[in-house]
Amino acid sequence: METVERDLFEIGRDLAARFPPRARHPVRALDAKAMELSAQDAELRAALFRFVDVTPACHSLDELARHLAGYLEDVDQKPPPLRAAMRMAESRAGRTALGAAAAAGVKHMAHRFIVGATPRDAVGDLRGMWRDGVAASLDLLGEATVTAPEADRYAERCADALEELARAYEKVPEREQLEHDSIGRLPRANLSVKVSALTPLMRPEAPELGRDDAARRLRPLLQRAHELDAHLHIDMESVDALETTLELVFALLDEPELADGPSAGVVLQAYLRDSPAHLDRILEWSRASDRAQPLVVRLVKGAYWDHEVVEARQHGWRPPVFEEKADCDRNFEELTRRLLDARPLVRVAVGSHNLRSVSHAIAYNRASGGEDRDLELQVLRGLGDDLGGALAASGLRVRAYCPVGELVAGMAYLVRRLLENTSNESFLHEQSRGTPIEELLAAP
Amino acid sequence: MKPFANEPVLELRRAPVRDSLLEALRELDKQQAMKVGDTSGATFTSTDPGEPDRVVAIAEHGTAETARAAVIAAVEAAPVWAGTGVEKRALALTQAADYIRQRRAAAAALQVRECAKPWAEADADVCEAIDFLEYYAREAVELAAGRELLQVPGERNTMHYAPRGVTAVISPWNFPLAIPCGMVAAGLATGNAVVLKPAEQSPASAQLLVDALRAGGVPEGTIQLVPGFGDAGEALVRDPRVHTIAFTGSGAVGLEIVRAAAETPDGQPHLKRVVAEMGGKNAVLVDADADLDDAVPAILRSAFGYAGQKCSAAARVLAHERIADTLVERLEGAMRALVVGQAGEFATDVPPVIEREAQERVLRYSETAASDGTLTLGGTEPPGDGWFCRPALATGLPPDSPVLREEIFGPLLAVERVRDMAAACDAVDASPFALTGGLFSRSPATIDEVVRRSPVGNLYVNRNITGAMVGRQPFGGNRRSGIGSKAGGPDYLIQFVEPRVVSENTMRHGLVVE
Repeated sequence: METVERDLFEIGRDLAARFPPRARHPVRALDAKAMELSAQDAELRAALFRFVDVTPACHSLDELARHLAGYLEDVDQKPPPLRAAMRMAESRAGRTALGAAAAAGVKHMAHRFIVGATPRDAVGDLRGMWRDGVAASLDLLGEATVTAPEADRYAERCADALEELARAYEKVPEREQLEHDSIGRLPRANLSVKVSALTPLMRPEAPELGRDDAARRLRPLLQRAHELDAHLHIDMESVDALETTLELVFALLDEPELADGPSAGVVLQAYLRDSPAHLDRILEWSRASDRAQPLVVRLVKGAYWDHEVVEARQHGWRPPVFEEKADCDRNFEELTRRLLDARPLVRVAVGSHNLRSVSHAIAYNRASGGEDRDLELQVLRGLGDDLGGALAASGLRVRAYCPVGELVAGMAYLVRRLLENTSNESFLHEQSRGTPIEELLAAP
Repeated sequence: MKPFANEPVLELRRAPVRDSLLEALRELDKQQAMKVGDTSGATFTSTDPGEPDRVVAIAEHGTAETARAAVIAAVEAAPVWAGTGVEKRALALTQAADYIRQRRAAAAALQVRECAKPWAEADADVCEAIDFLEYYAREAVELAAGRELLQVPGERNTMHYAPRGVTAVISPWNFPLAIPCGMVAAGLATGNAVVLKPAEQSPASAQLLVDALRAGGVPEGTIQLVPGFGDAGEALVRDPRVHTIAFTGSGAVGLEIVRAAAETPDGQPHLKRVVAEMGGKNAVLVDADADLDDAVPAILRSAFGYAGQKCSAAARVLAHERIADTLVERLEGAMRALVVGQAGEFATDVPPVIEREAQERVLRYSETAASDGTLTLGGTEPPGDGWFCRPALATGLPPDSPVLREEIFGPLLAVERVRDMAAACDAVDASPFALTGGLFSRSPATIDEVVRRSPVGNLYVNRNITGAMVGRQPFGGNRRSGIGSKAGGPDYLIQFVEPRVVSENTMRHGLVVE
C-alpha cells in the first residue's frame, strides 16, 4: 500500500510533466478562460447551459439571439462582453450578428467534444488518434428514444457504425499496446451503446420490459460485432436504467450463440453507494460464465450526479450517490483495486480525468504484479485529450470515448459534459486554476 | 411538531420494494371481501375494474335516511370536538397518519384492486393522504393562534377562528384515500364534525380512512361514514344542519350542490359554504423551441396515467405549427409503446377505467373523434374482460368538436395546431374550464407571457401536469373547474371556520385596566 502511494506520486508527476503547456494551445486557452468564467458565476453558467441546450431548436439567428438575451437577463452581474451582447439584442441587425456569433461559439465548443456528424466523418480523426497511440470507443449521440421506430433507427445506426469502424481500422499500422494484453488480442473497433436508446420501454419499476425489448435489438448487434471482430460496450446511464442494463447484458451474454464472442463490456459507476454490490454481481456472473472473452469492466465516476441527487430529493429518497467527493474518490480507488485483483476474470478499464485516480490505478496495477497492458485507461474526447496524450506517451493503453452525431442531437451530451467540467469540485477545473500537483495527487 | 415534509413515495425501482407490494396484494386477495359499515341490511359492492367478477368490498347501502341520522349524530358530537384543544385535534390527525403509514402497502393494494390504480399512483395517493393529515394538523395549530390586529389604548382587539359546525364531505373514487382524507382532515383539524359520503365505487378506501382517524383518536360521532349513492349525498347537501360542504367530483354534480346549498329552508339559521373541486379540460402548450425529448413522455404521462382519470389530466395539446407534425408522430409512436394492463402489474402504463359506463363514454367520444377528425389507437392489446380502453390520439378536429370541449375523463388526447403561443392562450381562454395547464418552452419571454395569460389554477412549465404535492403545489381550479381555495395550500383551512372578532373596552372610569 505504501509503495502504491509513493509510486502514484511519481507517476502523477511524470504524467503532469507530459501535459502540453497552455501557451502552445491558444484556442484551448480561450476555451479554458470561458469555462473558468462560467465556473465562477452560477447564474452565468446556467444562462450558457440553457443557451447551448436550446440552440438546436432555434430556426433563425434572430431566434437564437432572443433566447440568449432572455437567459442573460437572469444574470445579475454581467461582465462587459455580456452587457454588449444584451445591447446588440435590442435591434434586429444586432440580433442577427449576435445570433451568428453565438451559433459559431456553440459549434466551436461542440466540435471539441463531438468527432463528427457520422461515423464516416470521424474516420480521419479516429485513424489519426490510433497513429498517436490512442484507441477509441465510438458513441452515437441522438435524441431520446420514445418510440419503437426511433429505437430501430438507433440500432441501425449502431450496425452501420460497426461496419464503418471495422473498415476504418483495417489499414492502420499495428499498435502493440492497443491490441494485446496478457489474456490475448483486443479488437480495434470499439462501439459504446446506450440501452435507453435501444427501447422505448425503459421502466425503472419493470426492468424486464425494457430488457426484453432492448434484447431484440442488441442481440443482432452483438452478433454483428462478433463477425466484424469489434468490441461492444454497453454504457451505464442513470440509476433508473441500471437494473434493465445489467439484466440485459447478463441475459444476452449467457446465450450459447454468443459464447464465442464478441468482446463485450459493462460500466461500473463509483459514485453509486451500491457500486460495491454491483461489482459483486458482475464478478459473480463472470465466474459462472463460460464465455471465451472476459467481460470488460469500465470503472467511471458517473455522469448523472446532479440528476440523481435532484430526483432523490424531490421524492424524499436518500440519494443513491455519494454526496461527498472524497467518499466517491475513495470508493473509486477501492473498486479499482478489487477490479485489478479480479483479473483475468475481467478486463479492466479505468475511465477518469482525475490524475490521482488514474495514477493510483497504474501504480496499484504495477505493485500487484500486473503488466501495463493489462490496464486500459479511458478519457473523454475533448475533455481528456491532454491526459490521453500523456498516457499514450508513457506507453500506457489509452482509449478515448468519442461521441459522434449531429450538433442538434449532441446537445444534451454537451451540456452534461460542460456541467461536469465547470462544477466547482471538478478535477479539470482545479487543474486549470493551477492547484499544486501534490494537492491534486493527495489521498482522498 | 417537526416542520412538514412530504411522505416519501416508495422507490419502486428497487426490486425488494416491489416484492413487498406484491406480497401485500397476495394478502389482500386471500381475505374475504371487506365489510364497510353496517352490512346487516341492504348492501352494494365495489368490484375490481380489471376483473369485474372480483368483489373487493361489501358496503352498507346508506340512504337519505342514513345520511340524516349521521348528521344528527355529528351535530351532537360537534361541540365536544370543537372544545377539544387544537393541539389534541392535531395529534389525532398525525396519529391517523401514523396508522396509515404502518399500512402503506396494504392501503396501496386496496386501491389497486378497488380502483385499478397502478402501483406507483396508488402509493402516491396513500402518501398524499398522509401529507394532508400532517399538513392540515400543522396549519390548524397555526390558524388557531389567530391574526394580529391593530391595537389602540383602551381597547383590546382579538380575532380568532371558530369551527363552522358540521362538514359534509362528498368524495370521488379516483383518489380514493387522498381526496376524502384531505377534505375530512381539513374539517376535523379546524374543529368540525364530519360526515363522509365516499364514491360508491370506492367504499373500502373510505373505510380505511375512517378506521385511521378513529384509531388516531377522533371520537366515533365526530367522523361519520355514509357509504352510498347520489341520494345519500343529496340528503347531506340539503340537510339544514350541515354548515360546510366539501365536494370533489363532476361539474354537473358540483353545480347542483352549489344551487342546493344556496337555499335557506326554515330552521336553517346559517348560510352554507361550498368548497367544490370540479372537472377540467386541461391543455398542454408546446412551443416551437420545446425540447420534445422531454415533452413527449411528460404529455403521455399527463394524458394516459391512470387512464386519464384525473381531474388534472391532459386532454388537449396545443402545438406550435412548426413542430406539430413531429410532435404528433412522436406522441403516436410513444403511445403505441404504452402497456395496457392490470393495475397490479408494474409494467402497466394504462389500467382499465373505473366501470362499464366510463368505458362506454370513452368509446362514444372516440367514435366522435374518428368521424370529426382522425383517431389513432395506441397501447398493447388489453388483457381479459376488465373495463379497458386503449389510449388514443385525436387530430384534425374542428374547433367546436365535443372532443375538444367536454371533459372525457379517459385515455383520449386531442392535438391541435396553433400559429403561435398567443393563439394557444386564446384557445385556453375560450374554455370555461381552468384547472391545470402545461407549457413546454425554453424562452423566458414566452414563459412569462403564458404565465400572465393563463387562467388555470395550476400551471406546470416544462413538466407533466399531474401529481400536485401537498405544500408544494396547492391544488385547485378556477372558472367552472371549482370554487374555493386550493387543497394542500395555506388558504385551505380558512374555508372550514368562521372568523370572530372581539373588541373589549378596557377603560374603567378613566383608567386602563389591561
